[in-house]
Amino acid sequence: MKMIYKVSVERCIACGKCELACAFAHGSEGRPSKSRINIHRRGPELGTPVVCFQCDDAACVTVCPTHALVRNEETAAIDMVRSRCISCRMCVAGCPFGNMLWDEAYNCVQKCDLCGGEPRCVPFCPTGAIAWVPIEEAVLPPEPLDRESLEAVP
Amino acid sequence: MPTLTVNGRKVTVGDDVYILEACRAAGVEVPTLCNFDGLEPWGGCRLCVVDMSLEKWDDDWFKLVTACNHPVEEGMTVVTDSERVLATRRVVLDLLLARCPDTPLIQRLAAELGVDETSYEKNPEHTDCILCGLCTRVCDHIGVSAIASTDRGWGREIAPPFNEPPPDCIGCLACAEVCPTDHIPFATSNVKRTIWGKDFEMLRDPKTGEAVITKAQAEHFAERSGVPMTYFETSDKSKRLEVAKTFEKLQVVK
Repeated sequence: MKMIYKVSVERCIACGKCELACAFAHGSEGRPSKSRINIHRRGPELGTPVVCFQCDDAACVTVCPTHALVRNEETAAIDMVRSRCISCRMCVAGCPFGNMLWDEAYNCVQKCDLCGGEPRCVPFCPTGAIAWVPIEEAVLPPEPLDRESLEAVP
Repeated sequence: MPTLTVNGRKVTVGDDVYILEACRAAGVEVPTLCNFDGLEPWGGCRLCVVDMSLEKWDDDWFKLVTACNHPVEEGMTVVTDSERVLATRRVVLDLLLARCPDTPLIQRLAAELGVDETSYEKNPEHTDCILCGLCTRVCDHIGVSAIASTDRGWGREIAPPFNEPPPDCIGCLACAEVCPTDHIPFATSNVKRTIWGKDFEMLRDPKTGEAVITKAQAEHFAERSGVPMTYFETSDKSKRLEVAKTFEKLQVVK
C-alpha cells in the first residue's frame, strides 16, 4: 500500500513533540531548533508545522550539482546521499519553502527523508496533525480539532 | 548484472559500476583519497589499487588496477589484501608521508598499513595538500574552473591563475569542503566570505540578514539550472514563515 505523509494544519497545537522526536531520531543531539520539521508558533496552542513537501519537480534536486538528492521510489521521499554532497548549500538557498536546513554544528544539510518510510514524528503527535496514511485517505479533508474538549495536562 | 568475487566473497552489482563500489557492496573497505561519490573517478592517488583477474586469464595471472575507475566484468576476481597490493599502498603512503609528514589523515592511513615514518627525506615546507585534485575536479564539475594545478614536478601546486584572486570563482566553498585534509582556508559569515584571496558579498535575507550563499553563487546556479533568481533571495527561515502564513488561511480554529 502506498503511504503518504499528511499534515493537517488545523489540528496542530504547537506542542513541539514532533520537533523533539525528529531531533532525537536524527542525531541532532535533541536540539529542536535543528529538527527537520519546524512549527511556526503564532499563539497559545496554535501552530503550523512546516516540513518538506517532497516536491514532484523539486528545486533542490534541480540545483544540486552532484546529484546528491535523489527520489526514493519506495517511500517517495527525496533522499540525501551524503557521500555525494559537496556542501555548496545551493539546495538550502534554492528550496522555495525553506525546508532544507543548514546545520552549522555538523557542517551538513538536514533534510526530511520520511525516516525511510516510518516517520518518527508521527507516533508522538497527540492530535493527529501529522499522520502517515494510505494515499487514498490523504485526499479526505481533515476533521477540525475540537479545542474546547482538550484537557490541560497538569 | 555481473557477478564477481571479492576476497573470496561473491557479489552481484549493477552493470555500470566500478570495482570500488563492488568492493563496498561486498563489505570490503578499500582506502582512497581522491575518490568522491559525486564526481567521476580519477585514479589519481593510486591508493585504491587491487589485484584483479578475469575468467579467461591464466589462474595465477593477476593485474594491479585502480579500483575506483576500473569497470566490473562478469566472473572477475578481485583481491584487495594480497601482499603485492599492500606493498604498493605502502609505497604510495610512504611518498605521501614524505610530502605531508604532519597531516593527521596521511599519518593515520600510513599507520594502518604499518608505515610509521617515511623512508624518504621529509618535505621541509609544511603543506597539507596531497594533490589529489578533488578541489579542481569539483570546481570543473560545477562549471566554474576557477582553480587548477599549476607547474609540473615537485613545484606542482593547486592555485588560481597567476596566484591572484581568481576572477571566475563564485565562492561556493565546494573545494574547501571536499578537501580530505582541510588544506584550503576560508572565512565565512552572514556578510562576507573570503576564499582564495577573493572577497564575496553574501546574498542576505532582507529581513533577517542571514545568508548561506554568495551573490555570485546564486547568479551562477540560477543561470545553470534554470531555477529563478527569486528563489534564492530570502533565507530558509523567512521562506518557512511565508509557507506557514499561507497555511494559516486554511486553519479552522474552533
